[in-house]
Amino acid sequence: MILGLRAASFAAFLLLWEWAARVPVSFNFPTPWATFTALINLIGSGAILGATLTSLQSLLLGFGSAVIIGVPLGLVMGVVRPIGRVGRVYLDLLIALPTAALIPLVILSFGINIISSAVIVFAFGAPFVTMNAYGGVRDVRPRLLEMARSFDVSWRQLFVHVVLPGAMPMVLAGIRYGLSRAFVGLIVAELLLSPFGLGRLIMMSRSMFEHDHMFAIVVWTLLLASAALAAVARLEVRLLRWRA
Amino acid sequence: MAGVMTPGEPVSIVVDGVSKAFGPVQALVDIHFTVRAGEFLSLIGPSGCGKTTLLKIIAGLVPADAGRVMVGDRNVAGPGRECSVVFQDFALLPWATVQKNVEFGLLPRGVPATERADLARRFIGKVGLGGFEQAYPAQLSGGMQQRVGLARALAVSPQVLLMDEPFASIDEQTRRLFQDDLLSLWSEERKTVVLVTHSMEEAIYLSDRVVVLSPRPGRMHRIIDIPLPRPREVSDVRATAQFAQLVDGLWQTLKVLQ
Amino acid sequence: MTPPAAGEAGFDRSDLGRSGLAAIAGLLVAWEGLGWLDISMFVPPVSEIAVVWWRLLGNGTLWNAGASSLVSLAKGFLPAAALGVLVGLAMGRFAAVRHLLDVWVNVLMSAPLSALVPVLIALFGVRDTVVAATVFLFSFFVIVVNTETGVRGTDRSLVEMARSFGTGETALFVRVYLPAALPAVMLGLRMGAVQAVKGLVVGEMLISLVGLGERLIYYGNTFLLKELYAVIFSVLLTALVFSQIVQAAERALIRWK
Repeated sequence: MILGLRAASFAAFLLLWEWAARVPVSFNFPTPWATFTALINLIGSGAILGATLTSLQSLLLGFGSAVIIGVPLGLVMGVVRPIGRVGRVYLDLLIALPTAALIPLVILSFGINIISSAVIVFAFGAPFVTMNAYGGVRDVRPRLLEMARSFDVSWRQLFVHVVLPGAMPMVLAGIRYGLSRAFVGLIVAELLLSPFGLGRLIMMSRSMFEHDHMFAIVVWTLLLASAALAAVARLEVRLLRWRA
Repeated sequence: MAGVMTPGEPVSIVVDGVSKAFGPVQALVDIHFTVRAGEFLSLIGPSGCGKTTLLKIIAGLVPADAGRVMVGDRNVAGPGRECSVVFQDFALLPWATVQKNVEFGLLPRGVPATERADLARRFIGKVGLGGFEQAYPAQLSGGMQQRVGLARALAVSPQVLLMDEPFASIDEQTRRLFQDDLLSLWSEERKTVVLVTHSMEEAIYLSDRVVVLSPRPGRMHRIIDIPLPRPREVSDVRATAQFAQLVDGLWQTLKVLQ
Repeated sequence: MTPPAAGEAGFDRSDLGRSGLAAIAGLLVAWEGLGWLDISMFVPPVSEIAVVWWRLLGNGTLWNAGASSLVSLAKGFLPAAALGVLVGLAMGRFAAVRHLLDVWVNVLMSAPLSALVPVLIALFGVRDTVVAATVFLFSFFVIVVNTETGVRGTDRSLVEMARSFGTGETALFVRVYLPAALPAVMLGLRMGAVQAVKGLVVGEMLISLVGLGERLIYYGNTFLLKELYAVIFSVLLTALVFSQIVQAAERALIRWK
């Protein structure tokens, strides 16, 4: 029953798309089938896989740094109260600021290369990863800390056995959410930077009026991002198996 | 001190002129009593009498404003190795298995891993949870979770057991069985026990003496002797007239304080 | 549904305490110092940026760009709020609607919607309508998901109680579900406002026609660092102001109820 509704929803979407292309809503609108064949072509020619690899490099570099720096930083902020109080003000500002506004500044500072796109990915993802790690530490049930104290555990043991595992759910949620933000940053950076990755491919197809190609790459990008996020969500479930 | 856990002799607890305030609210005023070594003592009183605060002061989790507490020859200034606490809401680590939870108290004592595991398994068996070592707390009922809490507290071979309304979140049938198990475990390895409870029947059934505190602020009101014979878990003590009289006596005392 | 990431619901005036102001002051002082030391041409002193900002404010650049941005914000956020709450309510109340739409909503909520901007351009052409559409997309899904969660989170026992008194379906919805969902709806609107501004900047930068986003691209291309910083600051200001407007509207709405 549920499957039926979802299938119907997908079918309705395809029909709507087909209709939009035929009307035509705009002269640049390709049909679902044209998009699909364009996607096959792009995969076959290796263009899309090459671009994906380039994009993933920026993502790995930028988001990898965000996690390696952001999680420990957030944990320290949570444990050392004064650092947390000051740090969260900066984080709040970074999260309130639409990070895209920093892109021209980054490009000016670092040039048109993979460093720029990695820095942009970092800027998009790191604040959330850090903020959530911080929140995770603060979220640990005070009762568990009291219990641990009653057994006279050392600070190191308290951190490793109670604080860290207790903060894990929020840390992982922060990584998942940070990754979705990182993807946004990646795409915007590449659409603006142009010389790299999937963004470049999109802009190129647009300038060559190959709209079926452009749509195909957009669909591919969305699927890629969804797959990556789904993978992180699965990892999250496995690591947090103990939850009811 | 690392190494083998040898059960020590139970020690006495001396509460001497303890007072505690939280900001403008006076929780405890001038509390004096002594718990004899190996005695089972209950703290009871209406809400606001500070019994949980008092227990935490004995445990070294909360500092007293005035007075002092002696556990054995130690002047309590923080949590100590000779005391173990059992909490009302179980306080189990949700991400750890039953085995790991019970081993938790042994970590700071430098007990090597294999020995920790053996000790934990032994006490898991003693509380009747054999076979559940790899379960997570979320998979267990309230009563079972509290048994884990008790196993954890006993695994460190404490001389003093401090229990903060341990059976409050458990249904009555399970509670009765649990109380009997507690008594038989206690008679095996004698410890000094201080139990905070709301239940008059529980206080009388389990204890040698009951300390009644009056509320707002918490003060000593009465100490009641419970001369019921032991062991109580094998006979039907609750059905005796003496038990009923003691409960009624306690109720008359508490009624005045409500 | 996992609780929102910390900070997602926008900046609250109450978040700023003494340590907060000290932190910001410290940052500005350090920035000014670094600027004077001439560490890099990319770090001009705050004071010089402030002067440029004031100039841009005076000659109307910021007003024009800001006005255009706010109009696009309104054109995108208001429909997103109205439609988003409606769809969210429907999805929360009726399982059929939920199963029909949930795949799309969940996928699109976390997907890089910026990838859809070229599609929007293909649809509408290179016009400022694309910016409003981007704002709409960025804020719509967050509002839907939060509203839906709010409705689905209504206490079952409350519903049963109301039904036992013979409350009809419409009244049940208005008197029980709606008030119960209100906090979640408000949270969704606040989160939507934060996302709206992000969508605004992304859209304006990619279209590069009007608004603060266009100014960002322009000053970036022309290497005018101080002007660029001034616009970044204005963007932050816009984000904070819009956040406060939405929160004030929320409070007014609650009082009116």
